[in-house]
Amino acid sequence: MSEQRNDTKFINRQSFIELNARERAEILFDTGTSRELAGPFDRMESPWLAMQGVTPQADDGCVVMKGKISGQSTVVIALEGAFQGGSLGEVSGEKLTAALDLACADNEKGIRTNAVMLLETGGVRLQEANLGLASIAEIMASILVLRRHVPVICIIAGTVGCFGGMSLAAGLASYVVMTREARLGMNGPEVIEQTSGVEEFDSSDRALIWAIHGGEQRFAMGLADALVEDDAQQMVEAVQSFIAKGVPAVHRSSEIALYRSHIAALDASRQWDPKELRAIWKADVATEDTQ
Amino acid sequence: MTHQPLEPLQRSWTTRRDEKRRRMQQVQPWMNGPILPSTKIIEALESLIVSGDRIVLEGDNQKQADFLSRSLVKVDVKKLHDLHLIISSISRAEHLTLFELGIAKKVDFAYAGPQSLRVSQLLEDGILEIGAIHTYVELYARLLVDLVPNVVLVCAEQADAQGNLYTGPNTEDTPVIVEAAAFHDGIVIVQVNEIVDKLPRVDIPASWVDVVVEADRPFAVEPLFTRDPRHINDLQILVGMMVIRGIYERHQIHSLNHGIGFDTAAIELLLPTYGESLGLRGKICEHWTLNPHPTMIPAIESGWVKSIHCFGSEVGMTDYIAARPDIFFTGRDGSLRSNRVLCQLAGQYAVDAFIGSTLQMDADANSSTVTTGRLTGFGGAPNMGHDPHGRRHSSHAWLELITDKGPIVHGRKVVVQTIETFQSGGLPAFVETLDAVQVGKKAGMPIAPIMIYGDDVSHVVTEEGIAYLYKAEGQQERRRALAAVAGVSPVGLKAVASETAALRRKGVVAYPEDIGVHRMEAKRSLLAARSMEDLVAWSGGLYNPPAKFRGW
Repeated sequence: MSEQRNDTKFINRQSFIELNARERAEILFDTGTSRELAGPFDRMESPWLAMQGVTPQADDGCVVMKGKISGQSTVVIALEGAFQGGSLGEVSGEKLTAALDLACADNEKGIRTNAVMLLETGGVRLQEANLGLASIAEIMASILVLRRHVPVICIIAGTVGCFGGMSLAAGLASYVVMTREARLGMNGPEVIEQTSGVEEFDSSDRALIWAIHGGEQRFAMGLADALVEDDAQQMVEAVQSFIAKGVPAVHRSSEIALYRSHIAALDASRQWDPKELRAIWKADVATEDTQ
Repeated sequence: MTHQPLEPLQRSWTTRRDEKRRRMQQVQPWMNGPILPSTKIIEALESLIVSGDRIVLEGDNQKQADFLSRSLVKVDVKKLHDLHLIISSISRAEHLTLFELGIAKKVDFAYAGPQSLRVSQLLEDGILEIGAIHTYVELYARLLVDLVPNVVLVCAEQADAQGNLYTGPNTEDTPVIVEAAAFHDGIVIVQVNEIVDKLPRVDIPASWVDVVVEADRPFAVEPLFTRDPRHINDLQILVGMMVIRGIYERHQIHSLNHGIGFDTAAIELLLPTYGESLGLRGKICEHWTLNPHPTMIPAIESGWVKSIHCFGSEVGMTDYIAARPDIFFTGRDGSLRSNRVLCQLAGQYAVDAFIGSTLQMDADANSSTVTTGRLTGFGGAPNMGHDPHGRRHSSHAWLELITDKGPIVHGRKVVVQTIETFQSGGLPAFVETLDAVQVGKKAGMPIAPIMIYGDDVSHVVTEEGIAYLYKAEGQQERRRALAAVAGVSPVGLKAVASETAALRRKGVVAYPEDIGVHRMEAKRSLLAARSMEDLVAWSGGLYNPPAKFRGW
């Protein structure tokens, strides 16, 4: 008995997760319109890593590209998860902030410039602790200003995920796009286990991790706006659709009363099943599935 | 010459049988046919086993009779002590607790991966005594010769009321262990996941089985043969490309065994892409003896594979295997039938090639996975990773390795070792003296624990190139060939550029460019599957990865 197969398209897709930060950024643009700013040949590397015996990288793990998406001027900032876990240091933080601020200045001059952040990051770079922390504050301030003009789109594709301070940046974004292999959370699994014990959170239990932090759960709870397959084409289309949508009427991070009431309504004395949370949280959130 | 008058022995010839009957009578009041209530298991073990007995506890690198091992540590050591334990893999903590408590004294085994550090310590403290460290088939063979067991403790998925057993996809070692006891008046005790009215198929007949007990939970089984394609790096892909071109294509390897490792996983995932681009489908890699590696799925689905016989099953592969009976050995119930001993025999005598990766190699290509402080043992690799002189049938590959021109020659198995010139942490993998030498001395072993002997190795592949050791003339040339691919390790630094150039001209050493392998092409995009999700898709949704391998 021969079988009809329907997975050939998936097998032959171009994986987005497989791409490095530079390739991820580039593929989002209309063909041939992108150029890199403050690239590796400008040698903006961290002055702090070598002192601590860590080899720095010529782009400090942050790629900034400008070009057109759907014909509109857009800046894409991508953190490289393979370099120091995508962590944010002084230089990479400054590159990210400057890119957002320049886009903001353009918009204020009447030149519409969208912003996309590709976040694969564990948050602040421990070797540059305070400088990294300061960056997070600056990035958040910059997003808040920029998102009044244009949508700030955040992509978390995996496999590092988006944790720590940068999860706040994701929280402020106009739209969050995830794959089911991506994770989003304030404290990563290992951090929760270290601080609260293995009974609280077993960081080796992958099923648990993805049930809490995984893209499918985040989307189902209304904390992400699109869940796409690990497919470059789907990622491009998701970004284009959110650029077309423009600035949302209300940003998720402005829904303070709604999320306060959500949290207040949770009975913390019992263990909640992640699936139950989906039902309760998603019901009130007006997001659309782009799939 | 005068001699003593011959005097036939006046003795009982049924001591084993009588003793078995005596022990079985003690548990008879609790039994319902062959079924023993789970609550009686500890008392039953205290009655059925006698101090000093030789017992086999089923436990390999995959499945474990863990209900029985967890019960055995609870027996009263005053009643039961100084057992001689035979176990293929010391995998679980309680296996060694038996020794700490004094329930067991001596052990014969084949592998001690997860517990290797503790084995070394207990040995040093005199708490545990090692008979010998074996390879798998060697240990099973001795069950039929000088290590015949008094009692065996094994596991099965299901039993019926008569005591027939269904061992299912993970049959693995059970048949040989049971046979050694059942036909020499040993006692066969089986833990089963459940007792059912009708078995899917009978793997072991009731007349071989003495006691069946339902376990508190299904027997433990580890997904040991799963490699996440996400973690395959470009270097491993380069090595994989070299193996496909420089060995599989060169020698027309039709039948083979792959060890566990990312190098071999890379090869499996390169067949449908790189191998296909070379037009090699149907020309190499058709018949396999190996576990159902999930990374084999794309090659199977692309029509590369004609048959696979398995040592054991693999967690998550059950439905996929059941849907591919043309490829896998399956029972009438549709599920896999595995058998470690038979698969090891097949891997020893019936395949053209063995390939495995190793951690440490000396200048003569002796290799070992033993590192300081750990007595890991051998498992099954040496059975496949040697040239069996008992082979007489020929194949293209077997004949091609003949270098002698004499009238009487024998063919040779292709035995490939892959090794990165440096291990993680920057330690050279090529060394002057293997750690195994020191470890062996310290453990009082009569000879150093070598995994694969250098003289059995026909090819060594590193990220630098291939050493065709079988072609080397004399020990000096052989060493030079190995040094030529050993990078900047202490062994590799001995290479002389002019000698290496001569060896490359002679075909004793090949660098990637010598065999048409382009280093720049060695990219992850060349893998047919780059994630567990890809493997699931390739399987048409039939492969169900265990939670520890899920990234979603």
